[in-house]
Amino acid sequence: MSRAILFNLIQVLVVMAFAPLASGVLSRMKEIVQSKRGPSIFQPYRDLWKLFHKDEIVSEDSSWIFRFTPYIVFVTPIFVATLIPVLTNYPLFFAFMGDMIGAGFVLALGGFFATLAAVDTANPYGPIGASRTRMVGFLAEPVFMIVFFTVSFVAGSTIPYIVQEKWVTPLANFFTPSHVLLMLAFLMLILAEGGRIPVDNPTGHFELAMIDESKSLEYSGRGFALMKWGGQMKFFVLMCVFLNVLVTPWGLAGGHTLGAVLLAIPFVLFKIFCFLLVLVVIESSLSKLRLFRITEFLGAAFIISVAAMIAQIFLP
Amino acid sequence: MSVIIILLLPLIAAALVCIPLKKYWASGVTVVSSVAILILATRITLRVAAGNPVVSTLMFGLQQWIAVDGLSALILLLIAFVATTAAIYSVGYMAHENLKPSKLRLYYANYNLFVFSMLAIPVLADPTLVWIVVELTTLCSALLVSFQNTREALEAAWKYVVLSLMGAGMALFGFLVLFAAMQASGSNGVYTWDGLIVAAPTMPPVLLQTAFLLILIGLGTKVGLVPMHTWLPDAHSQAPTPVCALLSGIETSAILYVILRMFPIMHASPHSHAETWALVLGLISVGTAAFLLLQVRDYKRMFAFSTVEHMGIILTAVGLGASVAGYSAMLQIVSHSVTKSFCFFAAGAALMAVGTREIAAVRGLIRKSPAASVGLVLGGLAICGAPPMAVFLSEFSILKAGLMQKQYVATGLLAIFIVIAFFGIMLHINRMVFGAPENINGESPEENHLEPQAVENSHLPFSCRLAMILAAVPVLVLGVYIPKPLDDLLTQAAAALTK
Amino acid sequence: MSETTSQLLVNLNALATGLFLLTAFGIVAMRQARGCLNLFIIQSLLLAASAALLGLRHESSHLYGVALVNLISKPIIVPWLLRRTASAEIYTRREIDQVLNIPTALLIALALTILSYFLAQPILNAVAPEFRGPNVPIGIAGLLLGAFTLTVRREALPLLIGLLVMENGAFLAGISIARNLPLLVELAIATDGLIIVFISGVLIRAVEKHVGTTAVGELASLKEAAAEPAAKEASK
Repeated sequence: MSRAILFNLIQVLVVMAFAPLASGVLSRMKEIVQSKRGPSIFQPYRDLWKLFHKDEIVSEDSSWIFRFTPYIVFVTPIFVATLIPVLTNYPLFFAFMGDMIGAGFVLALGGFFATLAAVDTANPYGPIGASRTRMVGFLAEPVFMIVFFTVSFVAGSTIPYIVQEKWVTPLANFFTPSHVLLMLAFLMLILAEGGRIPVDNPTGHFELAMIDESKSLEYSGRGFALMKWGGQMKFFVLMCVFLNVLVTPWGLAGGHTLGAVLLAIPFVLFKIFCFLLVLVVIESSLSKLRLFRITEFLGAAFIISVAAMIAQIFLP
Repeated sequence: MSVIIILLLPLIAAALVCIPLKKYWASGVTVVSSVAILILATRITLRVAAGNPVVSTLMFGLQQWIAVDGLSALILLLIAFVATTAAIYSVGYMAHENLKPSKLRLYYANYNLFVFSMLAIPVLADPTLVWIVVELTTLCSALLVSFQNTREALEAAWKYVVLSLMGAGMALFGFLVLFAAMQASGSNGVYTWDGLIVAAPTMPPVLLQTAFLLILIGLGTKVGLVPMHTWLPDAHSQAPTPVCALLSGIETSAILYVILRMFPIMHASPHSHAETWALVLGLISVGTAAFLLLQVRDYKRMFAFSTVEHMGIILTAVGLGASVAGYSAMLQIVSHSVTKSFCFFAAGAALMAVGTREIAAVRGLIRKSPAASVGLVLGGLAICGAPPMAVFLSEFSILKAGLMQKQYVATGLLAIFIVIAFFGIMLHINRMVFGAPENINGESPEENHLEPQAVENSHLPFSCRLAMILAAVPVLVLGVYIPKPLDDLLTQAAAALTK
Repeated sequence: MSETTSQLLVNLNALATGLFLLTAFGIVAMRQARGCLNLFIIQSLLLAASAALLGLRHESSHLYGVALVNLISKPIIVPWLLRRTASAEIYTRREIDQVLNIPTALLIALALTILSYFLAQPILNAVAPEFRGPNVPIGIAGLLLGAFTLTVRREALPLLIGLLVMENGAFLAGISIARNLPLLVELAIATDGLIIVFISGVLIRAVEKHVGTTAVGELASLKEAAAEPAAKEASK
């Protein structure tokens, strides 16, 4: 049992440690694609270290929510990381605390507090971004629900480990239309939730056009570091769910030894790297959608997920 | 063999017409080929009427590609007849239009291709090939409908193409389901109309019914059954008059023939409600058309609505079931074709005399062009079913058959709708032919621009008169006397329908 | 043919039909005319792929022929024909304001898909088990979505594509239930499709030349009430 707790801890540490790396690799690759040199892939670590050593300035008009939110945003992805398969394909110690829908709600909790904090300050750009984030989140929720409903319908359970077992076994299952459509719908969902192009521009500095970035506009010092890190971890966790449960549930540790678990780390990193490549291609070839076109984008994601559900339920 | 020649002639004519020669080359070639087709068709029909169906075997690996039985021969004859009269009419009509020679050649080439596609419908025995030819009729006539290149003509042509092809897409699926049904029935027959009748008892009823419904609704779009008829008044009124005669007179009947071919197949299978569907759809069409007739503003549209009405009457007749009703339905097809083409010829004559298609603008036609007005009155009376003309005889026998079948409600409704249509058509024609020019808004007709501009040559060309006389002959004759060969043919056709 | 290969082929066919459905949704929702044409080409390729996969699975050479015919006629000849007959203007059009906004149109399209699954059930139950598969429901969905595109779009090219999608859908359903249709017939149906494109292209060019717009779905002047001024104009 102590081994299970240890593996769970290793899992959480992996998520915490490698989330900034994923973010750094992504921005570096985007810059390379644009024929620029780009920052070092370890730059996010340096940024976090710098931010932890800076003073924090908090507005006098803000309430406890403003001070409390960075911790929530930091903790919720960690919590989710204990629930989902990151390194192993068998459930770990805390895995039965919550299933995928619970994980979704926990992530939403973090987003909820971040939105509240953005409204909490007197900065006018905060509420603008917050309302837009809520709009995107509101439209993305049904997609989320239907994706997990379909996946659970196939597997007969909502625990991600059991789901992943179902997809792994016959290779032929990879090509079922519901699976492909689900992958597509979830990819669109990741783009929306992670604030990537075509939904939002993560490298933009123009406050009027910000959707996700505006949540951390007012933060500084330690709060800012926690918000940033939390955001990176959330993205990392979503990618893990996507890759380890839906797309490529292979390469996860099957054995119960420490060596097997540690061996799984490079596999996971490799899968994430490949996904980041795909993401770079998507981000570099599309342009940001106008605000009210986002509803169409998410509407299309919804339709695709429902089509996947139909294909799964009605097909023999 | 002569069937192949019938099919090849229009193709050759279409090719020949493209050669730029003297003024009357294109029209002459078309007329000659149409007359030749008529002669050959009559020969085949006489043979079939005597009881020997024509079957041609082993063409390019598809057995029984061509089969002509009673029903096919009837439609074939009608197509040939109307094509001939319309070709003769075109000579004068197109000359009156003063077109560029290349556009004239385009018209005749399209005309011949259209006639080819229609001729192929009754003679082909493989249902999928029939579907292909049905699509070809839409495509060959699309450019004819839009011939005048006005905004309305183009809109009519576009609506025609889109709606017809939509229906044809559904019908394609229907034919594929029919094929699947044939395979599922386990019979070793060939996929032809006769083979389907043989295989029908063992077909899964679900597939057969689905196929029937799909074909009924899909091809019903092309026939003009309500509620898929919306393109018909536009297309059948915007096209040049001879083309209208072809479209209204025989193209809708030829497509209806394809639907009618499904009925013997449905009869052979148990639990089929084919008759009910036909009855309901037919009555809806007749009723809607009758009411819509009352408020038309354009006399060619009026005749187009009358086509919808008559297609409904034929379908209702088939829906009444039994062999007597079948015979009357066949008679109704014949009488409608000859009468409708005559009506359109008369309408075209009026158009040439007056220059406008609007009913409100035409008054006192009898003073302007006696030939056109006689034609309109005669045509109007004929198409409404006034005795002693052909349509009266067929409608009467349909009503009689309905009463004999104890379908009182349906017969009653049919009679009421026919009467409403009668009033509608005669009202409009009466106003057009005999009325005095009206004062509208207190102004005299000249200021109102309602007085139709006097067209210089309101003298009806000779070929148009000839065509009208030729078309009028069966209208008048068939009302009192049905020649024996035609009677045999009708009996054969009815037998083929109710096998 | 081993069990796993057979299962793999069945799944790949299901994938092809699933993506077919996706392209049909895309054609309903896509704003740009050019995009619609590209989606149609992808759809035809998927149809050919489905035919080839079914042919591999059931060892039927007819279906290979169908696949080949579809591969040549639709992705290659249709765009070429369109370029020759219709004007180049139709490729540049986008529907800025639509009859029905995109999310609503997509929801209705979804409802039509669910409807087509229900409609396909009786047919599937009536044919032999080896003919069953996702082709028939998705084919019927293609038919319905093509018809829906025809009602929702106004630009010329998407309307034409909607017609062709209907035919694609009927074909997709047909290749699974009507497998032994003679190849000549298939060829003739494909030629028919080409003639449709040709004639529509000519009509669209004529509309653009004489009426001045490529939004052919908008032409609606022939009605009973409006017929008077229109007919007066026509008669002058």
